[in-house]
Amino acid sequence: MLAYLLLLVPLPPLGGFLLLALDPYRMDRRPVLALSLAAGIAPLFLFLPLAIAYFNGAVGDMIAPAFTLNFGQYEVALAMQLDPLSAIGATTVTVVASCVMVYAADYMSGARVADLRRFFALMNLFQAGMLSMVLAADSIVFFLGWELMGLCSFFLISYNMTSPRAFAAGQKAFVMTRIADAALLAGLLLLFLEATSVRMDELIPAGLAADESRAAIIAVLLLVGALGKSAQLPFQTWLPTAMAGPTPVSALLHSATMVAAGAVLLARFAPLIEATPGVAAATAIAGVATALFGAFCAIAQTDIKRLLAYSSISQIGYMLVAVGMGAPGVAMAHFVVHALFKSLLFMAAGVLSHAGGGSTAIEKLRGTAYVAPISFVTYTIGAMALAGFPIISAGWWSKEAILGAAIEAGPFGQFLWLVGLGGAALTGVYAYRPVLCALRKPLHETPKGHESWLAVAPLIFLAVLSVLGGFLVEPIVHLMGGHKPHPGLGIEVMGAVAALVGLLGSVAVTFIPSWNARIKRARRLRAGMQVDAIYYAFLVRPYRRVVRILSGRDGKLAKHIGEGPEAREGGMGDPVGTATVVFGLWLARVVTAPFTPDRFDTVIMRGAREARRAGLWTRRLQSGRLRDYALAFAMGLGVLVILGWGMTWG
Amino acid sequence: MSALNILLVLATGIFLAGLFGVAARRTILMQLISLEVMLAGPALAFVAAGAHHGSIEGSAMFILVLGLAAAEVALGLAIYLHMRRATGGDSDAATRLRG
Repeated sequence: MLAYLLLLVPLPPLGGFLLLALDPYRMDRRPVLALSLAAGIAPLFLFLPLAIAYFNGAVGDMIAPAFTLNFGQYEVALAMQLDPLSAIGATTVTVVASCVMVYAADYMSGARVADLRRFFALMNLFQAGMLSMVLAADSIVFFLGWELMGLCSFFLISYNMTSPRAFAAGQKAFVMTRIADAALLAGLLLLFLEATSVRMDELIPAGLAADESRAAIIAVLLLVGALGKSAQLPFQTWLPTAMAGPTPVSALLHSATMVAAGAVLLARFAPLIEATPGVAAATAIAGVATALFGAFCAIAQTDIKRLLAYSSISQIGYMLVAVGMGAPGVAMAHFVVHALFKSLLFMAAGVLSHAGGGSTAIEKLRGTAYVAPISFVTYTIGAMALAGFPIISAGWWSKEAILGAAIEAGPFGQFLWLVGLGGAALTGVYAYRPVLCALRKPLHETPKGHESWLAVAPLIFLAVLSVLGGFLVEPIVHLMGGHKPHPGLGIEVMGAVAALVGLLGSVAVTFIPSWNARIKRARRLRAGMQVDAIYYAFLVRPYRRVVRILSGRDGKLAKHIGEGPEAREGGMGDPVGTATVVFGLWLARVVTAPFTPDRFDTVIMRGAREARRAGLWTRRLQSGRLRDYALAFAMGLGVLVILGWGMTWG
Repeated sequence: MSALNILLVLATGIFLAGLFGVAARRTILMQLISLEVMLAGPALAFVAAGAHHGSIEGSAMFILVLGLAAAEVALGLAIYLHMRRATGGDSDAATRLRG
């Protein structure tokens, strides 16, 4: 019975979305805020008691079936489940999302684009998507939540619809993640064919039992899906541009939803990844490469939100390393800790940049530490967690666990450890830069700002968790059925040294003018090694050219294929898409048209036409003139008389 | 030719004359009068036949026809008065009234 509570968890945000989206009452600001906050926080109060009971061992794993359909041998059974992964994931999502919603209620009140109803409706849907994905016990609900998030991220990133940049960013995020979504869908469908069921508890054993090549294909498809959603190499380009969205969106998107969804996916299907050593190695390599790449790019950023975006890319790379090393528990521990400090960083950065005049440039943060001290302190705590400041920050514990898991995995793992250690040092370099910048004396005008309690309370709460979160790492790893790696003291010391080297590097980069200038010059690195430009040159432009050739001035080529209705109209919106339609029309003309004339049909239709004409002619008999009727009567009478006479003759 | 036959021919002639009047005239009043003439033909035929056979039914039928004609004229004149307002007493113009 308790299990059915699970079905209720994603419902409040979903209901909040529906109410706000349909909203027949044209609600004012206050009711909108109250409704969306209530809907956003309700899952926390619904799920937390259950999660606590689960963590205490009072209740065990459970499945709440929604409904079941049977098609021959295939079984489609939608359900939600409570297991270690979903308990950890859903707790994190509900806590972080509640904080973000409280913060957004204050932050968005002063937003330039004042459409709170749309914003909060989509935020609630975003939450509902992630919750249903995390809690899903079958691939259908899982994919549904996954796609809902893709949709919401599109709408939220392009929330500021008057800005073409924001709209393009939303479009880019949608298209880039969609490529990976197709791979994920293919993987899930292949798994479904193997298992003849959509239930996770049957999918994963079936995937393990599948023959080697099929299992490898499935694992690769799942990995590609995760890479796209989590903005890992080579799909990373959408995340930095997605910073065009409002700050609360970024806070939610980077910590507890969208971007983290890829890590959750890999943790969920970790047995399948581990079963194929090649794919596991690929996962780890993609992760460590992304971690290093993201860290390098983050150092060169001059915009605080883009810096944080690259840091998310980098941190999720670490999670992939853990999954690739066969330690999904460690990955989930880092997922939780990262969600806590990354949402904190984004939200604190939002307050600081408001204090700095609304610009997100790091240089503009100078002096904001003195006008927004609480936000500054919480940001510093978040930055320490991000950089893995030894012992006292939660980030240190989870990152050390990942590096430890790597070093325990043989020579290949040791190589990964070395690269990851380099990445950790670089993380320190970029993590403290905004902090140090905010401490410096302002150049021109003194920044002014205020911190309202609604915005600061979640920051303080998350900052406390970012410090105490270190205690969560070991229980999480245990709950996920793994063990927390304990490498030698020397290894741990090296990790601590790397984090401190990062701090020194950060100081050097901020205060040594020539180093600072070099960062400002690193335009290539700032643009993410111009991967974006390469994609544009090799993928977008050729495609556009094909489209232009196909459409010509008035769709000449398509006109040759067949006479589509659009071809005569002139320009076509989408010649590539139209080509199939045009082909279908041509096929209909050539194949079916010669057989359409039917003799009987024509005869019958001619009869129908004649009947109509006869009716039209006969109608004229009813002239309505009395004299005509009298004449007709007389003629009839005459005929009758003649008939009667003729018959009685003789 | 017996007297009866002469009378029957005369009755047919009166009937046809009335019919011609109904068909040829456009004025409603004239058509009504022609209708009365038409009724007079069969009435004469009834009386003649009754007299020929020495039976009273022929005269009875004539009285029936007379009553019918009176009722018809009463109704017809009432309708005529109404239609005169709409059509000016022209029966052809009454076609415009059709729905």
